[in-house]
Amino acid sequence: MEGRGSAVGTPASRPVTRRSKSYGRSCVEAPSYFWQTPGHLTVLKIPTSRDAAKSQIITNKVDPEHIALLVKNEWKLSYVTPLHCFRHTQLKSYSNHLSAFIVAEKQQGVAVEVGLEAGFKVTFTAVLGLAETDEDAETVFIQIQSKPVFAAAADAPKVVWRGWLTCVNGDPEYLRSLPPDFVSLPLFCTSGPESLTTLVKSWFERAFDCNFGSLALNSTTLNWLAALWTGCHPTCNIRYLKLAWSLPTQPPLDVSYTVNPQDAWELWNSIHTEESTDDRIDIKEVQSFMNGLETHFFRHFKIYLSAGTLVKVSTALGSAQLDGKIKIGNSDYITTLLTLLTECALLKMLT
Amino acid sequence: MDAQARSVLYRIIRRIPNRNIENLLKRWNCLSADQMRALDYTRPKWMIVEHVISFCEESRLGLKHVTNLEMIYRIENPDQGIWNACQLAEAQDDAVCVELTQFKEQFKAHLHGVIRHISIKMKKHEDEAIWIRIAWGDNFSKPNHLKPTYVVHHLHTSYVFISNLMAKHKIFLCQALVIATKHGSIKDGLLSTKSLNAMRDLLLRRYQQVFPNAHSRILQERNTLPSFPCIGKEHRDHEEIRHQMACEAFGHGAMPKLETAVYRLETRYKGNSNYTLSDKEEFFRGVVRFSSSSLLESLRHCVASGMAEGPVTPLLSAITQRGRNYFVITDKGPGVSSQASAQRA
Repeated sequence: MEGRGSAVGTPASRPVTRRSKSYGRSCVEAPSYFWQTPGHLTVLKIPTSRDAAKSQIITNKVDPEHIALLVKNEWKLSYVTPLHCFRHTQLKSYSNHLSAFIVAEKQQGVAVEVGLEAGFKVTFTAVLGLAETDEDAETVFIQIQSKPVFAAAADAPKVVWRGWLTCVNGDPEYLRSLPPDFVSLPLFCTSGPESLTTLVKSWFERAFDCNFGSLALNSTTLNWLAALWTGCHPTCNIRYLKLAWSLPTQPPLDVSYTVNPQDAWELWNSIHTEESTDDRIDIKEVQSFMNGLETHFFRHFKIYLSAGTLVKVSTALGSAQLDGKIKIGNSDYITTLLTLLTECALLKMLT
Repeated sequence: MDAQARSVLYRIIRRIPNRNIENLLKRWNCLSADQMRALDYTRPKWMIVEHVISFCEESRLGLKHVTNLEMIYRIENPDQGIWNACQLAEAQDDAVCVELTQFKEQFKAHLHGVIRHISIKMKKHEDEAIWIRIAWGDNFSKPNHLKPTYVVHHLHTSYVFISNLMAKHKIFLCQALVIATKHGSIKDGLLSTKSLNAMRDLLLRRYQQVFPNAHSRILQERNTLPSFPCIGKEHRDHEEIRHQMACEAFGHGAMPKLETAVYRLETRYKGNSNYTLSDKEEFFRGVVRFSSSSLLESLRHCVASGMAEGPVTPLLSAITQRGRNYFVITDKGPGVSSQASAQRA
């Protein structure tokens, strides 16, 4: 978010009106980051190495029904700044507040009969067990059901919107530096109409004095995912490694390269040998892997893929797009994906 | 009108915007002037269809007339569904003398001979194309008019364009085509696209082609010299060469709007040489798919702008030169790993 960055740098441009909108904030603030969430602004470093993806049967830790909610949809990513005074014990009352808020906003300027407000039902659920460290806050899942005004009484309400806030392996130093009133769930995934997403975001902004921004991924993140997922192949069949580039020709040229999973893994294995005991993956290995695929492509077609942008990476384990859309295909590797995305969200938030 | 005629009619009218219905019905020329005047095109679709059906019943029009309407509609809107190209080969000496009536008779006679229930309709379009509509049945069931196969052929060319053909009917159609056109065999052209026009223009070479000329060759030869005194000129020359190469491979000006090209790679790994993978005998398998709203123009721009290294690889220029957009790429043999050949799937 550019606005935030410039406001910190030049206090004069700080919008004063914002203070009147927030409420419930009583903690002492560091003066230099006046309207920034208080706490140390740790400079997060982009990691140059990370652990190889490890399979874990996540359903041993987390309710399988909850995991099922996360697996089937395509999610649009956002980041969100720490929530002030958010309590996991208050989810029921948040459900009521958000339903009331949505109904009120939807009916603005429309004359309605009293008692018809039951059009939207919001449910907040805590998805316990996704958190990896003590610093991670537990994931919160939000579901909005709607019943059309003219629906028959027997009709079941339809789920019209889903979203969840999560933090998996968030930077411990950053999380510890937050004052006790704040809960950081930096990654916000949504699926449903944009209008409802906007309403949910504005309710959160008012209730917890936080701020949302869209989270686009970058090609480095996509490269990481390609390598991490490919590395999983011997334990879990990834079925294919599909990479998609977009080249700025006129008209634009889309190139997709679907690599046989076994062959992709053998290439990865020749670069990342399993000698090291801690099984860390270095960014250089990731780059070398992607470079190897691009070179093989170049030897055939003489086209420089580096002239374009890598826009999508997908395997049976999941997919991720440059514009910040993801799909989770296999829950056993969900932790790796969410760790990476939590890190992206924190980095995006602080820069 | 039976149920099948109604659904065929409904399907046609459902697809077209209301404002175009009148024109289509006029060209069909089956409804009387009074009936045409009575139709209100501002009404909802289903009402128009009901009206047309009642008029058809008044005038005792049946399935035969409705399928004719469908053909008129399809000929005017050819860019629908997926078209596949087939190539005729081993032309007999008298293949060039085949006439429309002769073709028609032979084609129909053969298919009627092998399938008991089949409906074949043929129309000659203005541009010399023969349009064939086939509704398939079998020994026990009537022809299914809801899923007709369309075939387009220009007499005396070696290409046939086919849309919506089921695998089990392929052999019958191919035999009929081979016999009627007096050829020895027919094979899959490995070209498929949504646009019949693009396919036809590409295969019949109805686009502006650029051929290598002496001028460009001189430039290329000079280019091998170490350096030019004037960098600006060097750049211009490079640009010119790239442009020439791009046009030689992908034509000049507006090109047939091909959307995709697919390459199945079954070649040895040819990436970074320091990995042992390149020594392996096994292949590095993958599928590369190029797509664009106009693939040939994209590829031409790609080469001309320097996003691709020249000269254009045979793999890409084969799209225009061989009129195909599906390739299986294998290594030419042991030891020759730098060259790949495009083989038939």
